[in-house]
Amino acid sequence: MVEASGIPTISMGNDAERMAKIKPPRALLVKFARGSMLGEPGHVERQRRILRDALKALRTMQVPGTIQELPYRWKRPD
Amino acid sequence: MTVDLESFSRAYEQWVAESEADYRSGNMSEIVKRYPFVMAEDVPWTPYRGRPSDQTFALLTSGGLYLKDCQPPFDTASIHGDSSFREIPRTVRPHELGIAHAHYDHSLAEQDINVVFPIQRFIELENDRAIGGLAESHYSFSYVNDVRGLVTKAVPELLARIKTAGVDVLFLVPV
Repeated sequence: MVEASGIPTISMGNDAERMAKIKPPRALLVKFARGSMLGEPGHVERQRRILRDALKALRTMQVPGTIQELPYRWKRPD
Repeated sequence: MTVDLESFSRAYEQWVAESEADYRSGNMSEIVKRYPFVMAEDVPWTPYRGRPSDQTFALLTSGGLYLKDCQPPFDTASIHGDSSFREIPRTVRPHELGIAHAHYDHSLAEQDINVVFPIQRFIELENDRAIGGLAESHYSFSYVNDVRGLVTKAVPELLARIKTAGVDVLFLVPV
């Protein structure tokens, strides 16, 4: 409904199966647990990196329904 | 995307009848399997134009966040969930936020709210001029199964607010 009203969105996600049903217009898929979609608490640099990825994805994702998997792992250096 | 509320209603009422017992006993994986997801036929899409550094961003989470001092918590008991939303100012301090959502572990968000609501990171993006601006108001939903209230009331209300605020892009963090 948001996109239909003319506002582009970018969404985080961690469950590929559920995302296949919901079909977000643009999404970043992470391997983090529910309740911590931006990674480890207090990991400021990781959070910044994910948001920078989101800004980039806005400009590069041209096909509706694009899901980009991010490489980050819990408690593992980027 | 248009949502066929009549057919959803039929499937949803049946789902509620079949799922009450599992819901009460916390058997969430079973009720999710049966849930009548509104399947989008086409992906809703507005082409992205312009540059983030010229645009205003707002955040939307479904983490069940609310302002402890002045907003009611979400209903966390009903199988229907709660289709209302809370408006959260950009000036919020983490200790002012409560979490009312019975279906995820809050412990990580309680350590650092940015993992579900990255408001401090977005303020930094604004300071760094990576985005044009961060809106004054941001939004949280919570757990919701009965999407009829979202479609008919909450989302149109939220859209009206973000349009009035001149928001160009919405960043979504589902929980």
